[in-house]
Formats: sequence, C-alpha cells, structure tokens
Amino acid sequence: MPPLMGIEFLCRVADVLSDYLEGLNEDVIKDNFVIVYELLDEMIDNGFPLTTEPSILREMIAPPNIVSKMLSVVTGNSSNMGVTLPGATASCVPWRTTDIKYANNEVYVDLVEEMDAIINRDGVLVKCEIYGEVQVNSHITGVPELTLSFANPSIMDDVSFHPCVRFRPWESHHILSFVPPDGLFKLMSYRVKKLKTTPIYVKPQITSDAGTCRINVMVGIRNDPGKMIDSITVQFQLPSCVLSADLTANHGAVTVFSNKMCSWSIDRIPKDRAPALSGTLLLETGLERLHVFPSFRVGFRIQGVALSGLQLDKLDLRVVPSRLYRGFRALTRSGLYEVRS
Amino acid sequence: MFTQFGATADSLSKASTLMFRIGTDAHLYDDPEDVNIAPLLDSKFDSEKCEALKRLLALIAQGFDVSNFFPQVVKNVASQSLEVKKLAYLYLLHYAEKRPNEALLSINSFQKDLGDTNPLVRAWALRTMAGIRLHVIAPLVLVAVGKCAKDTAVYVRKCAANALPKLHDLHLEENSSTIEEIVGTLLSDSSPGVVGAAAAAFTSVCPNNYSLIGRKYRRLCEILPDVEEWGQIVLIGILLRYAIARHGLVKESIMFSLHGRERPHSEKDDSDDDFALKNDASGTSGKYDSDLARTISRCYIEGPDEYLSRTSYANRISFEFSGAKFTSGRSNDEVKILLQGTSPLLWSNNSAVVVAAAGVHWIMAPREEVKRIVKPLLFLLRSSSTSKYVVLCNIQVFAKAMPSLFSPYFEDFFVVSSDSYQIKALKLEIICSIATDSSISSIFKEFQDYIRDQDRRFAADAVAAIGLCAKQIPNMARTCLEGLLALTRQDFSTCDSGSTNGEAGILIQAIVSIKSIIAQDPPSHEKVVIQLVRSLDSIKVPAARATIIWMIGEYRNLGEIIPRMLTIVLKYLAWSFTSEALETKLQILNTTVKVLSGAKGEEMQTFKKLGSYVIELADCDLNYDVRDRARFLKKLLPCSLDHGELEVDTDCLPKQQDLPQLQDMNLSQNLAVFLITSLIQSHGVDTLGEGVDGTDSLSGSSYEESASDYSSEQSMTVSSGDGGSDETSSAGEVDNTDPLIQLSDTGDANQNQNGAPQSASTDLEELMSKRSLETWLSEQPGLSIPSTSEQSQLCKSSARISIRDISSRVKPKSYRLLDPANGNGLKVDYSFSPEISSISPLLVSVQVSFENCTDETISEVTLVDEESSKASDSSESSPSHKDVPTLVPMEEIASLEPGQTVKKIVYVCFHHHLLPLKLALYCNGKKLSVKLRPDIGYFVKPLPMDFEAFTEKESRLPGMFEYTRSFTFVDHIGELNKESSNNALVKDNFLLVCESLALKMLSNANFSLVSVDMPISAKHDDVSGLCLRFSGEILSKSMPCLITITAEGKCSEPLNVLVKVNCEETVFGLNLLNRIVNFLS
Repeated sequence: MPPLMGIEFLCRVADVLSDYLEGLNEDVIKDNFVIVYELLDEMIDNGFPLTTEPSILREMIAPPNIVSKMLSVVTGNSSNMGVTLPGATASCVPWRTTDIKYANNEVYVDLVEEMDAIINRDGVLVKCEIYGEVQVNSHITGVPELTLSFANPSIMDDVSFHPCVRFRPWESHHILSFVPPDGLFKLMSYRVKKLKTTPIYVKPQITSDAGTCRINVMVGIRNDPGKMIDSITVQFQLPSCVLSADLTANHGAVTVFSNKMCSWSIDRIPKDRAPALSGTLLLETGLERLHVFPSFRVGFRIQGVALSGLQLDKLDLRVVPSRLYRGFRALTRSGLYEVRS
Repeated sequence: MFTQFGATADSLSKASTLMFRIGTDAHLYDDPEDVNIAPLLDSKFDSEKCEALKRLLALIAQGFDVSNFFPQVVKNVASQSLEVKKLAYLYLLHYAEKRPNEALLSINSFQKDLGDTNPLVRAWALRTMAGIRLHVIAPLVLVAVGKCAKDTAVYVRKCAANALPKLHDLHLEENSSTIEEIVGTLLSDSSPGVVGAAAAAFTSVCPNNYSLIGRKYRRLCEILPDVEEWGQIVLIGILLRYAIARHGLVKESIMFSLHGRERPHSEKDDSDDDFALKNDASGTSGKYDSDLARTISRCYIEGPDEYLSRTSYANRISFEFSGAKFTSGRSNDEVKILLQGTSPLLWSNNSAVVVAAAGVHWIMAPREEVKRIVKPLLFLLRSSSTSKYVVLCNIQVFAKAMPSLFSPYFEDFFVVSSDSYQIKALKLEIICSIATDSSISSIFKEFQDYIRDQDRRFAADAVAAIGLCAKQIPNMARTCLEGLLALTRQDFSTCDSGSTNGEAGILIQAIVSIKSIIAQDPPSHEKVVIQLVRSLDSIKVPAARATIIWMIGEYRNLGEIIPRMLTIVLKYLAWSFTSEALETKLQILNTTVKVLSGAKGEEMQTFKKLGSYVIELADCDLNYDVRDRARFLKKLLPCSLDHGELEVDTDCLPKQQDLPQLQDMNLSQNLAVFLITSLIQSHGVDTLGEGVDGTDSLSGSSYEESASDYSSEQSMTVSSGDGGSDETSSAGEVDNTDPLIQLSDTGDANQNQNGAPQSASTDLEELMSKRSLETWLSEQPGLSIPSTSEQSQLCKSSARISIRDISSRVKPKSYRLLDPANGNGLKVDYSFSPEISSISPLLVSVQVSFENCTDETISEVTLVDEESSKASDSSESSPSHKDVPTLVPMEEIASLEPGQTVKKIVYVCFHHHLLPLKLALYCNGKKLSVKLRPDIGYFVKPLPMDFEAFTEKESRLPGMFEYTRSFTFVDHIGELNKESSNNALVKDNFLLVCESLALKMLSNANFSLVSVDMPISAKHDDVSGLCLRFSGEILSKSMPCLITITAEGKCSEPLNVLVKVNCEETVFGLNLLNRIVNFLS
C-alpha cells in the first residue's frame, strides 16, 4: 500500500469520527466505543478501505444525537444501526441517496478563502497566495444536476475536485457540473497565486542592546477590502534566550504563555488610532544582542469578500423543482500568514 | 456558605459532563463487568443481548480475553436484530481463529443469511464468513463468494471482491484458478465500485496475471475516473505495470531520456527547442542503455514488492518478457489511453491518487506533457503535514531528476515557521536543487531569513544550503562567500552554553561551505583564506578550527601572501597545540608536515624546528590517535628533520577524513533507477520512517539519520563549546558589527572584492593584523588560550556518582484499602513492596497492614479473591480463564487486639491488568468488598547491571521501543528550601536534586538504580545534563525495561525533566512511562 494511501485513509477516519462524535479525543472514543468499532468495521475490510463516503456511513450507522440519546435513556433501546442497505451503494452516484425529499429546495454556495503570505524582514511581500474552497450546502429533492460557472476561472492556478465533479465540462469550458451529495460538502478547492497585496500590514521592529531588547509591532490596514476586518490576532514565539517579557498594547489584549508564546488579540482596528504593541525583553545573562528572531503569525477574518477576486457567475439546476433558493457567501481568513523580523 | 456554593458549582460541572455521557455507552466501558454477562447473552430480549455484547466489546477494548463467552455469542449470530448480528460479528472476527471449532457452529446461520432478502445481511454474512479464515470452511466460502459475485446488489459484489484476498491468504492451491476466474468476472463488472475492489483483489491474488488485464485494459482505463478513490490508487498501479510489461518504456518520457544522458541535471533552463535536441540524444543512447531499461521494466513487471524483496516469482504467467522494449507514446494507443484516463485524476482531492497519477505521467508521458503533474503536486502541499512530508519526498525525487520542472515554482518551497524540522530540511534541499540564475537572488534573500530562525539546526542547514547553491551557480560564489565570512566573524562567544551546539553547528557549516566554494577555484579566493586564517583566534569551535587549519596546509602555496604568513601561523599553531581538541591537533600535525614538505631556503630551518616541536608534543599526547599520527609522520620525515631535503608526497597524508564534509547532492544514475522502482512505495516508506526517527530530536544518534542529506555532518557535535570567556585577547581589527550575514547588497560586495586587490598589494602587515596572532606569540604565550579551553572542556564533562545510602531511605507509598469508617473500625493499608516473591516470579508482593481502631477484638480477618469467594459460594466450579488477576490466599489472622497492627505480605498475580482488583475482606465473619489498585511500577523487578550493560541494552531497543515524555519536576525545591533553612552543613545542591529524583523514583517503582551522571558545570546551579538511569525486568516476561531520566534547568527552579523508557513491550512501556510521569510530576 502506498504510504499516502494510508495517511489519507487515517485522515478520513479521523474526519468521520470527529464528525460523528463532535470532537476526537480519548474520552469521546471511550464513551462511544461501540460506534467506533462499528464505524471502523464498515470503513476498512481486510486492510482495504470499504466504505468511506460519510453520507453512506451515516445511513448505515446513525450518529449519536440528542434525540437518539434521550430515546435510549427512556426506552432502554439504543439501536443505531440502519436496517437496510443505503440506496446510494447501488446507484452510480455513490455519494447520494436517491430518495431525498425536501419541502424547500435550497443551495448555498460559500467561497472560503485562506490567505497565505510571507513577508520577509525587509518588509517585502515574498509570497502571497490564496487557498480557497467552494463549499456547497444543498438540500434538494431527488437527484439534481447542478452546474456552477465562474466569471473569471482563469485566475485559478490549480484546482482539485470532489469526486462528484465531472471532468469533461471542466476541461472544455471550465464549468463545474455535478450531482451534489446531500448536505454540506467541499465541492472544489483552488489556488490563486501571486497576489500583489495583503489587506493588513504588520510591522515588527526589534532592536537589542546590552542584554535588553525593545520590541515594537504596528498593525494597520494596508488595502481596505471594503468590509470589516475582524478577529485580528498576532502571535509569535519568543526565542528561548529571552528570560522575561514585558509587553503592552494600546489596543487589545496581550497574553504571554508559559511556553514563551505571545498572543496579541486586536479584533478590529479602531478608527482613531493604529494598534501598536511595545515592550522590552530581558535576555539571558551574558547575551548582549538577539541573534534569533521570531516570526509573527497573523490572523484575520473578512466576512463577505473573496480576496482572490474569484467571482461566481451562475448556478443552474437542470431539472428545476418548483422553487429553488440559491444563496452565496464569501469569507476570507488568514492561512499561513507570516511576517518575519 | 461560600464553600457550599463552590460545592454546588463543582457538582454542577460534574453533572454537565454526565449529561454529555447520557445515552452513550460510556457506563458500559467504565465498568463492563458490574453485571453478570452470561445470562444477558441468553436473554430473549434483543436489547439485553446488545448490552451484553457491548460489554464484551468494552472488555476486548480494554485488553481482556473474553473468548470464554464464545459459545454463547455464536448462538446470537442467528438473531434477527441487525445490531445484535453486527456486534456478534465483531466479536466473532476477533476470536474466530482462537476457537476454530466453536466458530464452525456459526456456519449454518451464515449460510442461511446468505440467502436473506436484505442485501446488507448477505454482505455482512459473507464478510464475516470469509473473515473467519478457517481452512475447513474455505470451500464453502469459495462457493459463497462465487454466488455473491453474481449478486444483484453492488455492495454485495463489492464485498465478494474484498473476500477474495482473504481466501487467497489461506493458500488454496487447488482453487487458485477459480479465485482468479472470479477476479476476472468482477474486474469486468458494470459498477465502478466493484471494479475498484476487484483491482485490490487482483494485486493480492494474482498480480502477474496480465492476460486478465489485457482483455479489459481499454475499459479499465475508461472507467478509471469513476472508480472509488482507493480503487483508483490500486488500479493505476496495475495498469501502469501492465503497460510497461506489454510495451516497455516510452521513448519520449523523461524516465527514458534520463538514462541517456550523462549528467541529467546539468541543464539550466529548458526551452522548447532544447527538448527536441535531448530527444535525439536519448534516442541514440537507447541502445547501450538497454541494460538499465531492462532492470527497470523487470521491476515493474514483477511488481514492486517482489522486486524489492528479491524473492523468486513462481507464477509469471503469460508474458515471458525478454529484453527491454521501447515504444512511442505518440503512436501507441494503449499508452495514450492510460494517460488520458489518469490525467483528470490529477485533480483528485485524494493525495494518494494524485501522486499515483503523477507517477504514471512521469514514466509514460512525453517530456513536454510531464509539466502537467507539477501544479497538482504542489497543490498537495496544502494538505496535512504528514502527507505533506511524503509529497515533498516525491517532489524531491522528481526535482532532482528534472530541476527545470519545478524551478519556476521555487516560492512554493519557502519555509514557514510552523513546518516541522524534517519538512524544513526537505524544502531546503529541494530549493537547492532547483535554484537557477534567475531565482537565486530571491532564494538567497530567503536563506538570510532562515539563518535567523529559532531552530538553530535548521539555520545551520540553511548555511549549508548557501554553500551548495554557490557550488551550483558559480556566479553567486562571491556573494555567498561574503555572506558566509560575515557569519564566521560573528561573536559566537557571547551565546550561552544552552545554545552553543546550535551556534557551533552554524559556524562549522559556514566554514565547510566556504571551504567547498574555495575548492572550486582556489586562486581567486586567496583573500578569503587569509581572512579565515586571521579569524583563527576568535573561532573556538574545534571542527571549524580544524577545517581552517586544513585549508592552510592545502593552500600553502597559493598566491603571494599566504606563503609569507606561514611562519607566524605555524608558530601560533605550535603554541596552541596542547590546548586544542583532538581533530584540531590532527590537522595541525598534517598542516605542519605539508608546509614542511614544500619549504625552501632559510624558512626551512624555522619550519623544521616547529615541525619537530609539534611532533614531539604530539608524541606525548594523551590521545593515542594523536600519538599514532605523530609516530607515523615521524617515520615519514626522519631524513627531512635531520637533513635539508624533503621528498614526502603530501598526498599520502590522511586527508580529509577528519574534517566535516559538505555532502554532495548530485544526482547519480542510481537515484534515477531508485526513482521509478520505488517512486511511491519504498521511497515514501523509507523516508517516512526516517522522518519519524528524526522527530525524536532528543537523542543525538537519531539525528544523524535524519532525512536531510547534508545535515548529517553537523552531528559531529562539538565536544567542547566556548566557555563564555571574553578574555580572548584582542579580537583584532575584525570588529564587524553586522549582526548577521549580508547578502543583499550584491553590488557592494563585488565592489569590495574588486577593491581588494589594490589593498592586497599594499602590504602584508595590514592583512597580518599584528595585534592578533603576533601578540600571542610575543606576550603571553599559551596562557590565555589553554585556560579558556580547559574551562570549556570542563563545561561539557560530567561525573558519574553513586548515591550509597539511597536504598535505605526508600519508603514505598502506602494506600488505603479499607477505611475504618467503612470497615467497622478495621483499618487496612497496603503498599507495594520491592521484595520479589520466592514462590513464582509472576507474583507481586503487597504489604498489607491491618490495624484495629476499635476497642474490641476483631477476629478472623482474612483477604480473599472476590472471584474465588463467589465460586465457593455458588459451587459453580469455574477456575476458568487463567489470565485473570488472582490473589494467593492469605493466612488468616485469628484475632486482632484493639490498637494492634499486624503486617502481612500477600502475593498477587496481576497478569499486567491495570484495572482495580476486587477483593473480599472477611472480618468477624462479615464480608466487605475492597478494591486493590495495581501499580504498574511494581510489575517489574530490579535488574542490577552496570553502565556498559545498560547502554548496550538500550542501543538494542531503539525506535519504536523507545518512548519519551517530558514534564516539570518541582519536588526538589522544597528539599532545597528545607536544606537551606537548617544549613548546618550545606549539602551539594546537585546531590540533593539527584537524590530527590532517585528517591521519588525508587519509592514508586521497583527498579534498580544503574548510574547517576552529574554535570560538572561552570555554573553553580545549572543541572542541565543530569542523568539518572534505572533498570528493571518485567515480571511475567523477563524482558528488560530501561529508564533514563534527564533533567534540564536550574537547581532552584522547576526542572524540565525528560523520561525515556526503553522496553520491548510497547503497551507496558507506554503505561509505565505515563505512571512514572504521573508520580514524578
């Protein structure tokens, strides 16, 4: 078995388990050991993956939820096994059961983007790219055929798809044609490279002399995306040669953890002043200057904007049911956003 | 009132956690045996059967053997409830091999289930039946599989395909053709899901039966995108092997052309017209490369596993393949169709599928189409960190074979701080191999940032990478040298001993990189050698010094200035000889002789004097290597020392083996073969294994094996750091204030270099910097240097001490078995005693003390097993399963006077069970239930051994037998405070720390203390390096179990303690480790 197959499978098991148990740790596994046994038995047979599609698994083995828990307490009966074979195993779209019915047909498409950036110690943007996902949440009766197209598909550097996406239409017209699984799933992920600018700037300055070190970090908006930037955080790991740190900020809260990790949560940038963190670091005795420098991990969230500039064009349903509600949303947050000092 | 409130809050939070667990099976797991399971299994209610089966599963999960319930569980297979069935199947599969006869009882109900109308029931029955793996029922299973392979439900057919490998494992020689026939039927199934499973069966049943594939090849390629992802991975492998076996290698592919060229990665930038040229070249070279091609194709035909393990393959059936064949990807339809089928898979969201598809393109696709795999591969780098590592390993192989593929994407390999060290090192290596003229400047900028990284090991790797890039792109050599020199000038003496190793590593790397750059073109780098020589007085790291001294010998005749410097330099080296480290001494000897061999004229006399002086010194050295070298050289030079002539061929000197080496990252032909043979399989596995080893960075040895090519040389860790002394005389005029390497201003650097020749001609004096070397020679010869280096040697050394009276002070911890409040005034405590039972080695002795706290006499006190007491009650003779913890019956205490305490030793056989042992305590004729909690620390017995035996045993238990955890130890602080308050006689702080650690350890676990290593540090309260070793033997298995405790930090503060357990028994080792950490912290 190729090593990546093993790794992928284990990741899949972890995903399914945490989906079922709402978290993954020793305690929840112990508390739900029967379900874990049953799931593993369905997922792998004789060392080869058997059923890994979450929607099928969910039909075979019902996830524990409040209703079933209560029911089991009241009646003392706690069966969570599906009685019949899920219909999807027979169909040619193994990720979808055939007999789904909804009173209201809805499709929600979310663009969730993560910005990866590296800014070197000269303040130059070395690398800036977007890793994005198209997440679809569909509640549609029957077996719908959806097509989704983008206004500017050419900006995407590379893509990868959920198995439900047909390759041909994408190859020829850059159109996503698919039969969606029921519920929330990741339709595709994409990458947009070589972005020119980041929404916020973080400017660290570290000077050291005679055993102490001054640190000064400024944060501000570089390029206003037009929407509120919130959940801004700056995190950095103090070098091991720093004995103590005295950090203050004119906005937001600064926490220094015992493992010398510092976290500065700013949330939103106030209108009247630019947030700044300053403080002194006391170095180990005998050390005059700092010779290793921390990297600053920046976090932020922007609701309502896809910074890559990717735009959805239209979402069509081949056989339109009586009413279909379509919803679009976008969100950008920071991924591996790093500022070196 | 407030406390009350606190209590309610506490119980509230407890209640809320309870709420979470309501409705789950948690209570079953916590105490699976609190009801009698057997009657539940025979119950007529499905829900009770379910509960019983769940309890059994819980017991299995906790490591108990509950196979004695087998007969009762088998009956339940026939149940109508699907849940009962499923649970019973789980149980059955777990124990079927252990109880084959009883498993046969279930066959009838399986047969019945196979005819059920519910496909789920049929599928489960088939899966379980095949999973039982009994030879006796194999024919039945075969019939069942054959039937199910034609089932109407897809799921059942899929399960039939999955059952085939299970049957194959039973080695049914007579039926193998039937099995293969079924594989064939399933491979041509209409449902893609079944085809995927059938492909998996094909690889394990008949991987070489290509005729089976041949008929369906085209359809399989077409269906490939619709197959499930796991099936895709396997199917791609099969189709690729078939295509190579059938058609041989593709002429236009990279794989093919790689072998045609001498140095495949010497090209810089591939343009399209380049391609045509190379294709021609490969076409002609194809003839003499057929050997290689044959090896490659054969390994594909045989299948990677067999090729790697070199086993003979009995059933190579239809294709008798002789000699290498070549085909053209453009004209061959079958190759084309495979490429067409796999290319959409490059968009899969499963990384294994993408890498498998990329492998097909790499091997089969024409050169110009291989580009397609680059972006998908790079995209995978956004996946989880474990798969990221494997993907990087694959990219590394691709990139080394064809750097031009990845060179435009160098930015994707830039390191971020959240990467693990292994990933960082791999990325560096890839960047080095794909660097081009156009990208090198941004890459160097990036490297400069890496040198400031907090991970010093990685920073040292980055320095080495600069050297490698400079070698690869000669234009950059000067800029690199400037930067590297700036690094060596850094004031390394200021850093603390904690970080010394890292800094020293960087310095060594810098000098080694400089050396390798100089070696490419010595005449133009004369200045650099001079600068390095001049920095000898500030560089203290022995390996770095040794390298510089080697360069003196090597370039003794280079240019004009160096020969004139030699006298002074040699004098300086002679003076400092005694205080140098081993490797430096050896290099001094070599260099002296080299210089001596080339000397002429009046200098000759000085050199001769110096030479004989140094050899004399070396002759009396403490180290035999140095003495050996001295004698060897003496024999070589007898005449020259006496007469004026020298005819020594300096080449015969032991050359560079003492020096740290910059490893070459050139691609060899071997790598190319390695690539395709094991691109995904073995390469991935191997490097992954290394990576796992490497993560455990705490042991130096594993670091040596770490994944990076060039990181290995730094593992020659420097034996003595610098002692932090600033008295190293005048640091000379080299007062470079630049904190770190400065490569950015390329223009300036070049100017400097251009400007240098003018000043070079000005004078020797200026370069010789009178103040540095000469001052030593004249003013305080050999005074300051030895003192510092002695100090530094002290800094690293440690002393092994023994704590003599420790065993007498060990007080095993005592636990309460019965509280007087519950036991009518009888108090029972117990403690594990280190004494070994003479009856059986499996028994753990427990000292139990009975105390009567009442005013009346208590009579007939005895302690027995709960189980056995039950057994005697109900006369149901079930001494049953052997592995259940048992208590050796205890002598009864006839009576216990008020206030009297009686101590008894009882022996318990825990069989390594960690659950509390339920005991029954009888007193005054009444029965009280008590629970004895086992302590894993006493499942071992001391195994005295000496230090050598310990290290030898430890080295035999590496890798997965080694478990570590670190925590903070604070106990000693209290001791220290106590000690300082009544400091009649101040005890050594170190000793106190040692003792408190050792005492704590020995009072909680039954080990013997092997050794205590105490650091002799220059600093008074720094205990870093303190190391305690304990050894023991697991009672039941008599396997050694070794424990190493190392501490770090200051005496007066909480210590960072790392516990390492080496033990063959994985579960035991981990449990023991947790226990140790638990009681120490």
